Amino acid sequence: MRCCVAAACWKRRKLPKVKRPPDVNTAMRRLLSLLLLVGTLALGAGAAQAHPHVWITASSELIYAPDGSITGVRHAWTFDDMFSTYALQGIETKTKGVYSREELSSLAQTNVESLKEFGFFTFARADGKKEKFQEPVDYFLEYKDAALTLHFILPLKTPVKPKELAVEVFDPAFFIDFKFADKDPIKLVGAPAACQVKFERPNDGTAKAQKLGEQNFLGGDNSNFGMMFANKITVACP
Amino acid sequence: MRPKIRSRFARAVAICVAAAAVILVLDGVTHALMAQTPFGAPRSSGEPQLGGIVGWLLAKQSEFYREMSSTIRAAKSDGSAVWTLLAISFAYGIFHAAGPGHGKAVISSYLVANQETARRGIVLSFASALMQSLVAVAIVGICAWLLNATAKTMCGAEKAIEIASYALIAAFGARLVWTKGGGFIRALQTPQPVPALALAAAAPHDHAGHRHDHHHHDHSHAHAQGHAQGHAHAAHHDREHLHDGRAHDHGHVHDEHCGHSHGPMPSELAGPGGWRRGFGAIFAVGVRPCSGAILVLVFALAQGMFWAGIAATLMMGLGTAITVATIAVIAVSAKDLARRLSAGGEAGGALVMRGVEFGAAGLVLLLGAGLLFGYLAAERVTCL
Repeated sequence: MRCCVAAACWKRRKLPKVKRPPDVNTAMRRLLSLLLLVGTLALGAGAAQAHPHVWITASSELIYAPDGSITGVRHAWTFDDMFSTYALQGIETKTKGVYSREELSSLAQTNVESLKEFGFFTFARADGKKEKFQEPVDYFLEYKDAALTLHFILPLKTPVKPKELAVEVFDPAFFIDFKFADKDPIKLVGAPAACQVKFERPNDGTAKAQKLGEQNFLGGDNSNFGMMFANKITVACP
Repeated sequence: MRPKIRSRFARAVAICVAAAAVILVLDGVTHALMAQTPFGAPRSSGEPQLGGIVGWLLAKQSEFYREMSSTIRAAKSDGSAVWTLLAISFAYGIFHAAGPGHGKAVISSYLVANQETARRGIVLSFASALMQSLVAVAIVGICAWLLNATAKTMCGAEKAIEIASYALIAAFGARLVWTKGGGFIRALQTPQPVPALALAAAAPHDHAGHRHDHHHHDHSHAHAQGHAQGHAHAAHHDREHLHDGRAHDHGHVHDEHCGHSHGPMPSELAGPGGWRRGFGAIFAVGVRPCSGAILVLVFALAQGMFWAGIAATLMMGLGTAITVATIAVIAVSAKDLARRLSAGGEAGGALVMRGVEFGAAGLVLLLGAGLLFGYLAAERVTCL
């Protein structure tokens, strides 16, 4: 091909004075050479996506007040053993390999403070309206079977009593991979008897098809593409 | 007729390449969009949902990464598990593609912007990957092993280094833009090939740019002149006394594209100065360690297997280097191909090439700035 192009070029140079109409061929070649480069760079950048470094196995409870309004979410997040070990680096203990709740209190403090920056990876909507959370309360770390579990309660700014509540748990940047526990991923605590809970995992095929048509994507809030593939808890109270 | 057939053949090839390019672009864009989804994760039910090669790569790399902790544990009692660890680390490195996801993009863009050779691309890739591994070992060695600092402290150090790295990339990109901008503007000011006759008409338009030229062409003057002497085309002559710098540039373009000499200009060859330029890229990219390597090292340290962690980190670096080098070579080849394809276009082709270099330089700057100000989260350091 190099020969061809060089030859074509050679021919052209021999006829320098000929005024030619804008050369479609040249224009096209220019265009595609640009495309080629953009493609390569996009490939480079495209493959540069994040992938998880931390795995969390979660189980969550939705807490209701006696009047049937929801007051907050109680999370228990268990980290994978590599991250657990990393997090425990430099923590002093009385007995090697045994960490009491007190010895882990400063780490728990660090955890909830850092999680604030990421909105605790918990996103709630009451009847489609975004709800905010307060600072976490009752937080502590537990060390068992070489894994750390972070417990905390995330109270809603104002308790709500919606017909439909949606809570999603995920990391938009996907540094952390949230997976809900196989057994009892979600519990309702003190909810009115009529309330129905539904839980969708990210790679649940039906959930995905359904979510694609959902208004949270079409309704302008598509800044967060990752949301479509979150762990999604829906509670319907008639 | 023959030239026509040839050009038709060239066009067919071009269309194929264009199609491939479009697919690449779409692929890249899709994945850039999906960068924020938990698609490729290995989940209990297994199959990665993000279709295609990249989805598979992501799933694989997570798989390898997750196997590392159990393998390090196993290596404590069973020496042969070390070999498994090294193999997994190497594979992880290859799949991980580049420790800091942006490393590849920065190196490839730099190579494209700077007319670098493929060989230099390979060396840069390996050097930056090695540096990355060594920085990770140094951080964990000093912070965790010597000082027994907490994860919080270590993560703070990582964050500081990360910001410095992004700032360096932005600065590096700014310098490239400054240098390449000159070439691009000069190419822009070179009248389009149409007509030597229409030049008079183009003159007023050119006038403003003329001053600009003077600022920029100082350094290139010497070699430009040398070339002009060898390739003074009749068509250029009437321009030369008017627009010095531009006319030279034009001559040089002809030489490069049609004269069968595709070698870089002498000033662009890898001399001592050229290598020094490359160190900027190595340092800016390599100074930021991979979060994964830090986690593996701390984990290995806690198991009393720090040396295994170091070996694993170096293997990861080797794997990463191979992938980055491959992408760098593809980028350089793509640029070569692009240069050849646009060769027929006389000054227009030069404009495209200068534009591409300028664009690649701009990309480095954008990447650096985007990462620095948090618009891009390639692989942020997350301190929990």
